[in-house]
Amino acid sequence: MKSQIHVLILSILLLGGSFVPAQPKLSIDLGIGFYEPTLSGFDENETVQFPTKGIFNRNLLLNWGIYYEFFSNARIGYNSFTSYELGKDILLLNSEAIFRRSINYRLFPIETFFRWRPKIELNFTLAPIWGRGRIELDTTPGDKTEDWNFFLNSFGGSEDPVKDMGATDVMRSDWYGYTGMLGFRYYISSRLALDLKGGFINNSYKEKKWRVQRQSVTGPKMKIDDLPIFSFKVVYGLR
Amino acid sequence: MRFFLALLIFFGILAAQKPKKESVSACDDPLIKLAQTKGIKAVPLKDIRRFNKLLKACERQGGKEEIKQLYHEDWQRDYNSARRMASWTSTHAMCVFVSFGYYFAGRILATTPSS
Repeated sequence: MKSQIHVLILSILLLGGSFVPAQPKLSIDLGIGFYEPTLSGFDENETVQFPTKGIFNRNLLLNWGIYYEFFSNARIGYNSFTSYELGKDILLLNSEAIFRRSINYRLFPIETFFRWRPKIELNFTLAPIWGRGRIELDTTPGDKTEDWNFFLNSFGGSEDPVKDMGATDVMRSDWYGYTGMLGFRYYISSRLALDLKGGFINNSYKEKKWRVQRQSVTGPKMKIDDLPIFSFKVVYGLR
Repeated sequence: MRFFLALLIFFGILAAQKPKKESVSACDDPLIKLAQTKGIKAVPLKDIRRFNKLLKACERQGGKEEIKQLYHEDWQRDYNSARRMASWTSTHAMCVFVSFGYYFAGRILATTPSS
């Protein structure tokens, strides 16, 4: 019986091995994105002094992705655009907090393409988006509830929404959206390429749909729908 | 016993032969053959360093033209497989193009309704 198992494992490995060269291409990419949202909940907030807006914390997105070429002219994959912001000594009611904010646009694209020239590819991307906003505050323990209420009240909504705070001091919001992009890819070698994309991004974000410690709260006003978006990335074909 | 062992080692050294060096050309390596038949992307990632060394060795051994051909065929293979949009992919591309055009035309042409 034991030897039969060994034979089975060996056969699977050999059979699997014979499929390997015929597998479609797998590629990873890393790059940056550029867009222009209006985060008025932070920029026009008169109660809490957030970090000054700039290219790095507003317009620049970190971009990575992984794609699987399942057809001769099509890929499917996962792509993530993330915007980060970090602020120290944010003056709240009882403490000077550390503030971290991220907006993550998680794309599940279907990309079709064709080679215009042997080294040049034109591609077309359509993707649903699962977006997530995350705001994290490190406040002084003991004064958390007051600080969070002070912070949340600055965005409007009901007064003092949080009644009881535990250890986690993160607020999150999820939303859905979609994007369409046209791209241009230049192959440096058969594995390595530079990819430039431009398109639009549409998100159904609602500031009333944030939650902190399973309690619904009102978050910052952000205009992240109907935005043009551009990305530049380096693509490496694994197989 | 000690004498017997010493004798055995002595004759072992005496009768030892230099192993025959295999005169396999780098251009005939299975990795190069794999790249020629299935494309460079078929070479596993863990073998890329060895593959690059083999390419250089093959070039040094006079296989410059062979390597040039390998690259050319790799480009052609990719180009031929993706130069035309097959099956449903052209419809998808058209959908993307139309949504893209609709969005940007809307941005340019749309007017805000007066209150």
